[in-house]
Amino acid sequence: MTAVQLPDFADELVAAMAARGTNRAEIPVIQPAEPFLDMAGEDLRRRIYLTENENGDSLCLRPEFTIPVCLGHIAGQVGTPRRYAYLGQVFRQRREGGNEFFQAGIEDLGETDTAAADARAIADAAGLLGQLLPGTDLSITIGDQALFEAVVAGLGLPAGWQKRLIHAFGDDAALARMIESLASAQSSTVEESELGELIAAGNIAALADHIATVMEETGYSSHASRSPEEIASRLVEKTELEKTRLSDKAFAALKTFLSLDAPLSEAVATLDGFARDAGLATGAALELFAARVERIGASGADLSTMRWRAAFGRPLDYYTGLVFEIGADGAVLAGGGRYDRMMTLLGATEEIPAVGFSLWIDRIETARNAKETGR
Amino acid sequence: MTITIALPSKGRMKDDAMAVFSRAGFSIVQTGNDRSYRGRVEGRDDIEIAFLSASEIARELGAGAVDFGVTGEDLVRESLPDADRATAFEARLGFGHASVVVAVPEIWLDVTTMADLGDVAADFRARHGRRLAIATKYHRLTRTFFSKGHGIQLYRIVESLGATEGAPASGAADIIVDITSTGSTLRANHLRILSDGVMLESEACLVRARKPEHDRNPVVAEIVAKVRAVLPAA
Repeated sequence: MTAVQLPDFADELVAAMAARGTNRAEIPVIQPAEPFLDMAGEDLRRRIYLTENENGDSLCLRPEFTIPVCLGHIAGQVGTPRRYAYLGQVFRQRREGGNEFFQAGIEDLGETDTAAADARAIADAAGLLGQLLPGTDLSITIGDQALFEAVVAGLGLPAGWQKRLIHAFGDDAALARMIESLASAQSSTVEESELGELIAAGNIAALADHIATVMEETGYSSHASRSPEEIASRLVEKTELEKTRLSDKAFAALKTFLSLDAPLSEAVATLDGFARDAGLATGAALELFAARVERIGASGADLSTMRWRAAFGRPLDYYTGLVFEIGADGAVLAGGGRYDRMMTLLGATEEIPAVGFSLWIDRIETARNAKETGR
Repeated sequence: MTITIALPSKGRMKDDAMAVFSRAGFSIVQTGNDRSYRGRVEGRDDIEIAFLSASEIARELGAGAVDFGVTGEDLVRESLPDADRATAFEARLGFGHASVVVAVPEIWLDVTTMADLGDVAADFRARHGRRLAIATKYHRLTRTFFSKGHGIQLYRIVESLGATEGAPASGAADIIVDITSTGSTLRANHLRILSDGVMLESEACLVRARKPEHDRNPVVAEIVAKVRAVLPAA
């Protein structure tokens, strides 16, 4: 099933997004592939449609809108805050459903009132879905990577472990494996040698000298890749980590946190209770979370119908805070989140906070048709 | 129907493959001269031999253009998106042993496991302004091993069609994924295999293209049985 025709509600949707104070972004179908591969990793390669131009540059059919909208914003040198809306076809190799389908969405760039912008993204997504699917029960799930980062930091874990855990956040299986491995005894690999003594003493400067000498002797061009200092300091850090293991208390706290799942109306109290029991100061992250919940409540939404899941996240390094999904009858109709790190990764010279969401138009169409035939 | 067997067209693999078939009672003769790409089995009109390059054999198996092929497991798994659905590995032939491995510069003293590499990859962009670069010709195997096996997604593949082992020293890539039989080329280039970095222990295999018409074909069954019978017990 391939949708090549705009859905019959396209005009209504475009008007509804414009009414929310957005600027329509016009994004070419053919895009340079590099930014997508760079952001999402090599795995994306088999899910997008790649081609080349005469010069051998990699091009692809637009697999999504967020990255081109951000790049367009940077290139256009327009001021912030600015909100963009889009509607158009995207092209991806999918296991299920067609390989070309429509997506719409809003990207909110540069709004510094984070809680307000987060709440507005959720309200916009839910509002648009409510307009297109009147009378449908929408289930809204919210997660927040910043809370997990705060818990990990609050537990006083070594920096190396914090990085590993945060990197795995959003991939439940990988995260569980990681926590297990940190809780079990590690095998120590420190050699009984001159080098072993330097490592044990944490003498990074001397280690780096040694590494630089070996690199020179073996003709390894150290400028192009990892430097002797980087290798030396990670070697010392890693050796220290191998001597310790995750305490029972920290292990239990992580497990408990990741199992938290509550209606949004009770999420702040649940988090407070968890932080108190675990003896953690989650400070700014919890404040922002609470402020966001307040703003969502102020927008008129019924917080008891939304869920917060502590383990809900996306394992991509540009997501920084809020993530959310809106579904109905088991199908995800909208997904979004905060990606404060993306704009600078894409070349913006200053930090630009960003939050956005996209709507799965084909699934919305299916849900509308199901309603009509069910009538 | 005539059953087509694709064999490597040159080198040790060709000689070893012909020897296995000969022991199994299929004496293969090349039609015309020894540069010819066609062959037959003495006394058997129902079997045809096609001599192809090793990577072509994998592709032809995937397309079902040949019934059997002798080629390295690495090439089949690299060339076909779902190798086990498209083909059946009927026998491991005991030659052409080589491993597809992840190797890092020896001097990366802090990186001995895939988990270490995951840490380095996660930080790479922030430290170096680009993703970790892997030189390899094994795109598919690398993606599967890195993302599904170890949850590592943040890297870029640098296409490498030859002398992959030189890429880290020249600065063309940070690490490599390559095939090695003894590891001596890697050592000579100051590269070290990660302790859990063996992606695939490959060897030459008798591979069958899965086709419905093979189900009751006595020749297909005969070829598999006779080749298996002359292999040392696994």
